[in-house]
Amino acid sequence: MSKYFGELDYSAEAVFQFPEGIPGFEDQSAFVFLEQSQTHPLVFMQSLLNPGLCFIAVPGLVADPTYHPDLSPEDLALLGLSPEPSPQTGSDILCLTLVTVSEQAGPTVNLASPIVLNLRNRKGVQAILPSSGYALQHPLLAQGDLVPCS
Amino acid sequence: MLVMRRRAGEGFLIGVDIEIEILEVSPTRVKIGIVAPDVLQIVRKEVVLTRQENLTASRTAPPQTIAWLSRNLSKPRHGASAGLTAVKDLTDSARFVSEFEKTNS
Repeated sequence: MSKYFGELDYSAEAVFQFPEGIPGFEDQSAFVFLEQSQTHPLVFMQSLLNPGLCFIAVPGLVADPTYHPDLSPEDLALLGLSPEPSPQTGSDILCLTLVTVSEQAGPTVNLASPIVLNLRNRKGVQAILPSSGYALQHPLLAQGDLVPCS
Repeated sequence: MLVMRRRAGEGFLIGVDIEIEILEVSPTRVKIGIVAPDVLQIVRKEVVLTRQENLTASRTAPPQTIAWLSRNLSKPRHGASAGLTAVKDLTDSARFVSEFEKTNS
C-alpha cells in the first residue's frame, strides 16, 4: 500500500535499501521511488514498512541547475562506493532532494541533505553536507512564480 | 554565547559530569572528545536539523499542491511513461540528470 497511490505493484529490483534509515525515520530501511507522467518531475519516495510515509522529491538539478554535492567518504562507503573514480550522477548515482511544503512560505527543497541512491546496488543514504553552503530550505521556485496553493 | 580559546590537549567541563577535550586541531577541522553520562544523547547539529526538516517534509501534501508543483517545475525533455511507474531503475530521473549534465557541461 502507498500513501498517495493506493495499492502498488513493484518488483524487488525497484526497492532501495537504506541500512540506516534517514534522520527521524531510522527504522525505515526500504523505499520505492515512484513517478508518473502527470506529476513529472516529482519523485515519490514511498516507505515499504510504513504505507503512510511518503516523501516528495525532485532531482537535485531540477531544484538548482548547478547542484553538485560533494559526498563524504563515510556516505560513499555506506553506498558501497569509493571516492575514486568519482561516481557519475545519472549512471552510478542519483541525487534527489526532499520537498517541504509549508503554508506560510513557498515550497522548499533540502539541498543540504540529499537522498543519494546507488543505482547499481540499490542502496540509499541521506547524505548530510554540513559545510557545503547548500540550504536546508532552498526555495523551489523563483519568488515570481509563487501563487496561492489552493 | 560563551566563547573561550583552547589548544589541543586542553579541555573544559560543563556542570560536573560533562567533560569536553580538544584532541586535535587542523586548519579546517577540530577533533573533540566528549565524556558525558549515558543518558545524554549527543548528536551532530546538522543531523538534528535534517531530522526536523524530514519530519516536516513527511507531512501529507494536498493533491492540488502536488499538481501545482509539477506544473511549475521545469520538465525533463523526454516524455515520461504514461501511468504510475515503480521506478525500476529510476530511468526517467537518471536519464534526465544525464541529459542535464551533458547540456550543462
